[in-house]
Amino acid sequence: MFVLLFITSLNKNKMKKVTLALMLGFVSALSFSQTTNDSIIQDSQIEQNSAQRVISAKDGNAVTLGAYGEIVYNQPEGDNGKLDVHRLVLLLGYEFSDKVQFFSEIEIEHVEEIYVEQAFINYNVANNLNLRAGLMLVPMGIINEYHEPTTFNGVERPGMDRSIIPTTWREIGVGLSGRVNSASLSYQAYVFNGFKSTNADGTGLIGGSNGLRGGRQKGIESTVNKPNFSAKVDYYGFLGLRMGLSGYVGRTQADDEIDHVQGADVGLSMVGLDARYVFNRFSARGQFIYASLTDTEAYNDLTGKDLGSALSGWYAEAAYNLLPEDKEQKLDLFARYENYDTHAGTDGTLVANDSYNRDELTMGLSYHIAPGVVLKGDYQILDNAASGNDVNNQLNFGIGVWF
Amino acid sequence: MKLKTIITVLFSIIFLMSSGIPENLEKKVDREVKDVFEIDFYEFEKVNVSEEIKSKLPSKIDNENFFRINSKGKVKGYVYVDKAPSKTADFDYLVIFDNNLKIARTKVLIYREEYGGEIGSKRWLRQFTGKSGEDSLDDIAAISGATISVRSMTNAVKDILKTMKILQIKKVI
Repeated sequence: MFVLLFITSLNKNKMKKVTLALMLGFVSALSFSQTTNDSIIQDSQIEQNSAQRVISAKDGNAVTLGAYGEIVYNQPEGDNGKLDVHRLVLLLGYEFSDKVQFFSEIEIEHVEEIYVEQAFINYNVANNLNLRAGLMLVPMGIINEYHEPTTFNGVERPGMDRSIIPTTWREIGVGLSGRVNSASLSYQAYVFNGFKSTNADGTGLIGGSNGLRGGRQKGIESTVNKPNFSAKVDYYGFLGLRMGLSGYVGRTQADDEIDHVQGADVGLSMVGLDARYVFNRFSARGQFIYASLTDTEAYNDLTGKDLGSALSGWYAEAAYNLLPEDKEQKLDLFARYENYDTHAGTDGTLVANDSYNRDELTMGLSYHIAPGVVLKGDYQILDNAASGNDVNNQLNFGIGVWF
Repeated sequence: MKLKTIITVLFSIIFLMSSGIPENLEKKVDREVKDVFEIDFYEFEKVNVSEEIKSKLPSKIDNENFFRINSKGKVKGYVYVDKAPSKTADFDYLVIFDNNLKIARTKVLIYREEYGGEIGSKRWLRQFTGKSGEDSLDDIAAISGATISVRSMTNAVKDILKTMKILQIKKVI
């Protein structure tokens, strides 16, 4: 039933119908999970994964249902607070065989905006090789691929994972992925359609403060005229440590009516380095991203925007679990420092805006009351390089689930 | 030389056919057994475990997934094949014990989903090698981004270690 509703909701572009379909889907998903929950055997292995909902069909194939979500409370100093069901995402997968799977995420943002975050087919053609096609995540840094709220500390994602890597960054494409177990590494390589920089009427979609974020096409009637390439290699051969190297090259796209005009599109190369480490109760992660853009002067002239020619940022985070390791619960005390600048470079007459050179110090707690459920609280000291800026520090609380 | 190869293949096929290990895993299991013990010939012998003992074992043991490995009239060790849950699917794994009941090899045979496939890493799995029922697995390293599968595999190995110990005490093996 859920699958049917999902398909009809994809075909029809009318918001109300989609909302209704999803609501019905939700209800059926909930009733599904309740019935399966009752019959879960108290086996030590299955218990570990009690949140999983694999419903085996008669022919042995399997539907996967899951969800993640986060509800947040942001309280800037001196201003009104904000309460938001930031996102609720339904995971729906189907295993056609050991080799062929479909995976999708349907996201409801701020209660009323609906997106498809991922929808792709994975075909395992050989031991170390999968072919993939559909709407997929661009592998860049940590959070864009691992964005479920129980997998990162802090109520808010790192700022650079919004303004430089426009999380959740996803586009339609095809590519390869796989693992080489003997070398402890995994790889991904895709061809995607790129960001859209300019509308037919000359409106620019990308700019200074949030970089490329406004240019994501998200699989919504995306325009494409030049392919973009994305790749990532992860190495996890040192115990407890995992490192990633990501790259992205291409050009933005512009509507047909304007794509011959100089400045309608810009060139983009992005490189990322990331690392995550776990040792007993201690964990740490860090990330560095640098993006270089070409033809930004022409783009800014055409659109009146203030797009920088270089974006860069890094963060480092350390956390310590205050509870003994043998407990199922985890209470991580963490601190993260981050610096990112969406005007790390500017071309032509554009003067770098110091307020785009931002830093954030975030300190707080992540209390995992069960695997898959987290309560978060943190305080953020926010600043930027502009003298006399009045950025408010912020207190955040949130709950997150993933199953 | 050729004859030897043919005989090896034939024998392997015959013994594996009778083993009860699912067809899609047979070849992989065969390769690991030969590699671990550095042998070309071996046979799988069913281990008879009474229903009463089975009910006390943490791992599910039957005639289809647990075998004694014999070669040239000698017991080389034991092999165990089972499934464990990853986040949204199951993965097939293998544990081979030597004749001292220490783990000689673990391998993830088939992993079926997006998350957690890092547990297939040879380097990570090597941590289990040499462990026996006396050892704790508390020092098994975590992998970022694969927490659920790491926990699942570690628990599965813990269970089979306990199972082997019980079977040993009950003089089944």
